[in-house]
Amino acid sequence: MSIGKRLNELKKNELFGRFYGIMLLLLLAVFFWAVFKILTPDNFGTLEKTYYYLQSSIIYSVGACGFYFIVVMGLFDFSIGANVVLSAIIGVTLSKQFGYPGLLIGAVLCGLAIGLCNGVIYAKLRIPSMIVTVGLMLIFECVAYFASGGEKQSLDPSLQFFGHAPGNMILALIAFLLTFFILKYTKIGTYCYAIGSDEYVAKNMGINVNKYKILGFVLLHGFVGIMAVLSVSFGTSMTALTGMATMSRNFTPLMGTFFGLAFRKYGTPVTAMVIGEFIISIIFNGFIALGAPTTIQNVVTGAALLLIVAITTKPAKGAVVK
Amino acid sequence: MGETILVAENICKSFGITKAVRDVSMTFARGEIHGLIGENGSGKSTFVSMLCGIHSIDSGRFLLNGEELHVKNQVEANDKGVSIIVQEMGTLSGLTVAENIFLGREDRFVKYGIKNTTAMNREAARLLDKYGFGHIDAAAMIDHYHFEDRKLIEIVKATYFDPQIVVIDETTTALSQNGREELYKHMKRIRDEGKTIIFISHDLTEVIEFTDNISVLRDGSYIDTVKSSDASEDELKRLMVGREIASKYYRTDYGEPVSGETVLSVQGVSVPERINGISFELYKGEILGFGGLSECGMHEVGKAIFGASYDRTGSVTLADGTKIDSIPTAIRHSIAYASKDRDNESIIIYDSIRDNIILPSINDLAEKRILRKKKLNEFANRYAKLISVKMTGVDQFVSNLSGGNKQKVVLARWIGRDSDIIVLDSPTRGIDVKVKADIYALMSELKAKGKSIIMISEEIQELLGMCDRIIIMKNGVINGEFKRDERLSEEDLIAKMV
Repeated sequence: MSIGKRLNELKKNELFGRFYGIMLLLLLAVFFWAVFKILTPDNFGTLEKTYYYLQSSIIYSVGACGFYFIVVMGLFDFSIGANVVLSAIIGVTLSKQFGYPGLLIGAVLCGLAIGLCNGVIYAKLRIPSMIVTVGLMLIFECVAYFASGGEKQSLDPSLQFFGHAPGNMILALIAFLLTFFILKYTKIGTYCYAIGSDEYVAKNMGINVNKYKILGFVLLHGFVGIMAVLSVSFGTSMTALTGMATMSRNFTPLMGTFFGLAFRKYGTPVTAMVIGEFIISIIFNGFIALGAPTTIQNVVTGAALLLIVAITTKPAKGAVVK
Repeated sequence: MGETILVAENICKSFGITKAVRDVSMTFARGEIHGLIGENGSGKSTFVSMLCGIHSIDSGRFLLNGEELHVKNQVEANDKGVSIIVQEMGTLSGLTVAENIFLGREDRFVKYGIKNTTAMNREAARLLDKYGFGHIDAAAMIDHYHFEDRKLIEIVKATYFDPQIVVIDETTTALSQNGREELYKHMKRIRDEGKTIIFISHDLTEVIEFTDNISVLRDGSYIDTVKSSDASEDELKRLMVGREIASKYYRTDYGEPVSGETVLSVQGVSVPERINGISFELYKGEILGFGGLSECGMHEVGKAIFGASYDRTGSVTLADGTKIDSIPTAIRHSIAYASKDRDNESIIIYDSIRDNIILPSINDLAEKRILRKKKLNEFANRYAKLISVKMTGVDQFVSNLSGGNKQKVVLARWIGRDSDIIVLDSPTRGIDVKVKADIYALMSELKAKGKSIIMISEEIQELLGMCDRIIIMKNGVINGEFKRDERLSEEDLIAKMV
């Protein structure tokens, strides 16, 4: 048996598959770190800075975990950015009266409510999720604008525990463990995969497809609520934006989700999303260290993402990829 | 006949204007294997789909143990003691083997909302072992297993909870001989435990051999039920079609010379891990058969000729010297190909009959690059009617057609293209006797017009009956070649296959 064939057989083993997937991701992270370290040794990649890259990446990893629940079902959501802004503003506003409980519970509940709203409207109107969430994104942006009175909302310095280690790490770790737990140890995870695989068969298995799609949106936006807490704590303030300006906030978490989907076959979607976002963070910060213009950064980051997913996914020849 | 377990009373079902099941009433006994046969489109699958909650009933009712059975989905049907192994893929990618087996019924492993994955995997592994499928890992992703293993997993999924009624809908066509033997073994076991099996198959020999009673549907209506021990294939064919079907529907000519004009030359064609150094010539007006065991590589030969194989080496050359190395080149040079995997590789299932038929001819049908619907409709109608596709119109979606009619749409597509070389991989797979006869007649007609056909088939009888020459493959290489001869027997071919 050739080495390639043997490796493919080994990858079918649950434990080896996981090990292989994680090692592949870590190697990629080390590779990109090494490239930038060689290119700009003074400005990039000290232990302290690498830790900073990790801290900034976990914010998006939490969003990626949420995104995963709906993307595996073949759905999409454009209102993530609007939710981050709105939930952060609600959290900051409530924190002024109730402290940390106001910040945390306010943002997460706001996120959950937005998720419920998105899910129910999608299920009831039977409109494609992309269109529903673009419409709702515009509405949520305006709600955030009115809720903040058009003013920048700053988080009190005494309430910024989740903006740095260990607070941000603890909160993110809870979110990662929760994602892992839901995917692996509840029916929700199984049903999300089943619906994504074949909705018709899933329906015939007695699965209430609409219920689980709504639940997917609720979970996504619950995680986005946590992401909002991490974002506003890290950046210390949040300003409402309108006119689809929040759209760009969708894509970084989505890139992490792509890593999760690509590495799902190794049984490590959550780890892949976390390390994947870290890789993206390394690339972003590497370009900043190089002093490259933002446009070039975006081009190379996009290209790197395509390359990584293409190399790691490697579908069988002739397999249909949509 | 034993005690009645299931009664169907005046069951009706329509899809739009198509009446799929018309007022069907019949009974099933406890502890029997009950065959259900009929032509493609006779309503067999629709009938059992209603029993299993996949489709709703328009009117009529099922009575299970004297109580009305009304289920909305498969899991509800399972809860009432009815399960089904479906014709198509019934397992879901992206889930583990264990998750597939218990899909929709995970609650026994869930406590306070938490699923005990370990217990689920352990139970699935126990069941797989019990069924003799110990080579399948319960915790592995189902995507790691091929179609046949996934069918075996479906057998476990459909029967582990001891249902009273098990429906096996046209499953055997997807299985190799080993897979079939496994299925037969479990069918007998289930019957011996006093349960009932409704067995749907187009293979009349297998239906007669493995069932106790056989019911026949025709055009959605119930025709008759006969005892399997008293039934003959000819009688069943007559009941299915409504008239006598000649038991020999193959070619009757022998010894007629085939032209010596080569239309296609295949030299040293190899595809990694599939076929190795295949060489042969195809002559004008010849029907060349390829036979062998399912995994012998013969199916890859069809793909390789059509330019659809990956990493192919060697040459496929037309008489004029044109090299065929891609699908567009093959189509442009009048080569047609109908895949064994009809639904995934030949047909665009959620599209109209018209769009399926016009697809390879679309450039010829365009006038200054503009497509006119009237012209497309005329074209599709002409060829669909030419080979008698049973349809409400060319706008009808292919997904609503029976297997045999889908195959006719594939053939209409290539006849419309007036292809000179036609590669048919398992053209009569899962198809009833009448459509089979139609396809054989069409092949003879095409041969008479000077078209050349390559027929790849796992059915030895049709190779013997239809081909001018038969190539037998084994382990990816050619292992024997036979000329058409009345004295040629199945044993001669089998000797070269195994």
